[in-house]
Amino acid sequence: MSVQTNGKQRSHKAEMALKRMKSKLNRQVVGSLVGCVHCGMCTDSCHYVQTNPGDVTYAPAWKADRLRKIFKREIDWTGRVFPWWVGAKSVFSDEDLEELKDIAFGKCTNCRRCTINCPMGVDFATFNRMLRGMLVSVGVMPEGVAVVSKDQWEIGNQMGVLKEDYLDTLEWMADEMQIELDDESAQIPIDKKNANVVYSINPREVKYDPRTISDAAKIFHMAGEDWTMPSEGWDMTNFGLFSGDDDLGGAVAGMLYDKVIELKGKKLVISECGHGYRSTRCEGPNWAKKDVPFEMESSVITMLNYIKEGRIKVDKSRNPQPVTFHDSCNNARSCGLFEEPRELLQLVCEDFREMYPNRAENYCCTGGGGAMSMSEYAGRRLKSAKVKADQLKATGAEVVVTSCHNCVDGLSDCIKHYELGMEVTQLVNLVANALVIPEKPVVVPVEKEAEKVVAHAESLVNRTILIVDDEPDILTFFSTVLEDNGARILTATDGEEAVELAMREQPDLITLDINMPGKDGGWVFSRLREEKATSQIPVCIISGKPELRRLIYERSVPPPEGYVDKPVDEAMLMRNVRKILDLSKRDQTHSVESN
Amino acid sequence: MITPEAMHLAESMAHYALIVMAIVYTLRLRWFLGFAAGKERQAPTGAEDTTPKKGSMYSLMNIAMPWAMESTRKKPFFYMQFVLFHLGVVSGITLSFTIPFAPEFTASPVVHLLFKIFLGAACLVGFMRIIRRMTDKYVRAISTPDDHFAVWLLTVWFGLAFFATDMAGGWMQYIYFWMTMFFLLYVPFSKISHYLYYPFTRWYIGKTMGRRGVYPIRRGRVAG
Ligand code: SF4
Ligand code: SF4
Repeated sequence: MSVQTNGKQRSHKAEMALKRMKSKLNRQVVGSLVGCVHCGMCTDSCHYVQTNPGDVTYAPAWKADRLRKIFKREIDWTGRVFPWWVGAKSVFSDEDLEELKDIAFGKCTNCRRCTINCPMGVDFATFNRMLRGMLVSVGVMPEGVAVVSKDQWEIGNQMGVLKEDYLDTLEWMADEMQIELDDESAQIPIDKKNANVVYSINPREVKYDPRTISDAAKIFHMAGEDWTMPSEGWDMTNFGLFSGDDDLGGAVAGMLYDKVIELKGKKLVISECGHGYRSTRCEGPNWAKKDVPFEMESSVITMLNYIKEGRIKVDKSRNPQPVTFHDSCNNARSCGLFEEPRELLQLVCEDFREMYPNRAENYCCTGGGGAMSMSEYAGRRLKSAKVKADQLKATGAEVVVTSCHNCVDGLSDCIKHYELGMEVTQLVNLVANALVIPEKPVVVPVEKEAEKVVAHAESLVNRTILIVDDEPDILTFFSTVLEDNGARILTATDGEEAVELAMREQPDLITLDINMPGKDGGWVFSRLREEKATSQIPVCIISGKPELRRLIYERSVPPPEGYVDKPVDEAMLMRNVRKILDLSKRDQTHSVESN
Repeated sequence: MITPEAMHLAESMAHYALIVMAIVYTLRLRWFLGFAAGKERQAPTGAEDTTPKKGSMYSLMNIAMPWAMESTRKKPFFYMQFVLFHLGVVSGITLSFTIPFAPEFTASPVVHLLFKIFLGAACLVGFMRIIRRMTDKYVRAISTPDDHFAVWLLTVWFGLAFFATDMAGGWMQYIYFWMTMFFLLYVPFSKISHYLYYPFTRWYIGKTMGRRGVYPIRRGRVAG
């Protein structure tokens, strides 16, 4: 379907995108659209420009002009009367929209570094977000953005974590904390009313980094905090910030606010996540069009206050390695969270080294703006990460600390790609590590401790795991790790072999790569679920591209027991395997009990 | 020699053009203010000593603080060009009033010299800007015909104004006034009108960044 405009045909999508643009213009955005003098002062501030010298299509003003041209042609009367003279140009076809997609999503992380370097106060990052929203409203977006947005709309969190999995993980983390502290009163309270602190997290913590949950729980416990975690509406991340979809942004933030109100919580503490903090603390009330009646705070500030108030004691000698700090763009450049993380680092680390530039002038980790979910642009992202790599290297630090889960992933990729050999961690991990835990007078029998260690090391004894992957390196890596932990390993390199082995050997778990030549992981997964003999075998999907999860979603069979995104490290693999096996064991126990 | 009547006509036309410019500006501002301002509901974040008002003031003053932004800090020469160019604009406009209404002021040796310095320097910077706009790959890529024309127009105008300062009633002055008229009529339709929006863009970004504790910008010790 198309529409006739000024003698030119315009596609239905282009027409709808323009309508959306007109409905979203406000004075701030219009100011930025008309205020640019094309001076080029912002050019060098962008990490994409620095790593693609000579390619003008990465220059902030050039990218900004893509929307500016449309605005001029459609709204600004100089552009409507003299389009050629002022460079006005509208969009007409679906191909035009695709070109815009490549720029809005693939060439800008909305880091706002150009914004603070523009003498005119042009806020490109803000209207690039608006451009993304225009495109998303007509379904033009990278596949990863579509998948993640769908998860957040339908399941309520951006990684599709089911409520049972979330609650199981909290229970599991509480168990681990109790064992570690040898204290049965150490709990993760769920849906407790009138608590002083309601703690919200990033679903990545549930899926890939549950240690951050147990570390935070340990800190709350040691501080004697009256706290709780909500059973629903717990995701403080918000893909609306990246997709430019204010409706999604408002719905997600609103869900979280409503839960805190329902629980009558006094303060919402937001775990370490840059875009989550910005979305929940700063933008959420605007998107949701709600005034929030309770206090909101970053967990960095909470932890710092605990130390300052003497509620927890820390020993910085437990973190002796040289560390540096990476300011997340959303935390720092958009929310002014600069000094507190530094103050906290000085208290819990022995050797803190500043990175340059820093604070509001720091460079993006290059995984911002949702870039980590857009695998089609991974090449560009890693190329632009050279700026970050150089910054990191110059610090001479062994560990880079950041208060953002997205930055953890972006930095890890950068470190791996540029072989920097650094570790990435968050403040919560360092604070938990530095915690001084008073000795318990009760002596634990030595044999019991030893039993625990052995049980941990041999947790996969008598378990058979089928690894399905076409990459020999992955097969070797997974086999070695799992075998070292006592498992019996079977391997298959293609889909048909995998199904045949699963039917014959009845493994306890299957790790399944989605992206394989021939019969892909989606086909294998359906077959396994449809066959009676294999339908109950837990499956952990392994994928390098989050958007490929749709190969699984789109099948009308029960969902897999877990997902792990590549690159996978040993700790991540073991955590997920243990978790899935533990859960399936519990499920079996439940069903036996209920029978 | 230009007759006094012809000169008077040229001067008057320049001043009428100023009135037309003011009317068009008023219309443009009405259009701009017709867009609702986005509302900020968030409670303040960041350091306690930053406020939306402080942020706005800092943002508005930003232009006079070359150390405040990396882009100006690292390019002091470019910043100097910016200052000279804009001093030239102010001088050129002032001249269009002082010649007819306060010739003795323009004739004062110090004022005369200052006009010469500012207009001459601005003209020189104008030529540098023309070259930059044509040769710098990035700037060329974002330049519209209006961008090119605007810098040419200003540069030629600076040149005329430079000579107009000493040739009372001469051709240069005559052409300068007609050029001023054209310039003033053209400005509201071109990117030269950026200064109309400047206070708004800087005010709003400053207000947001001030509320969020980002403005005034804090930097750690400067390295490299
Ligand atoms: S965005 Fe700002 S710095 Fe960049 S070209 Fe435009 S006016 Fe100049
Ligand atoms: S917002 Fe960041 S990534 Fe986007 S153009 Fe500006 S500096 Fe570059």
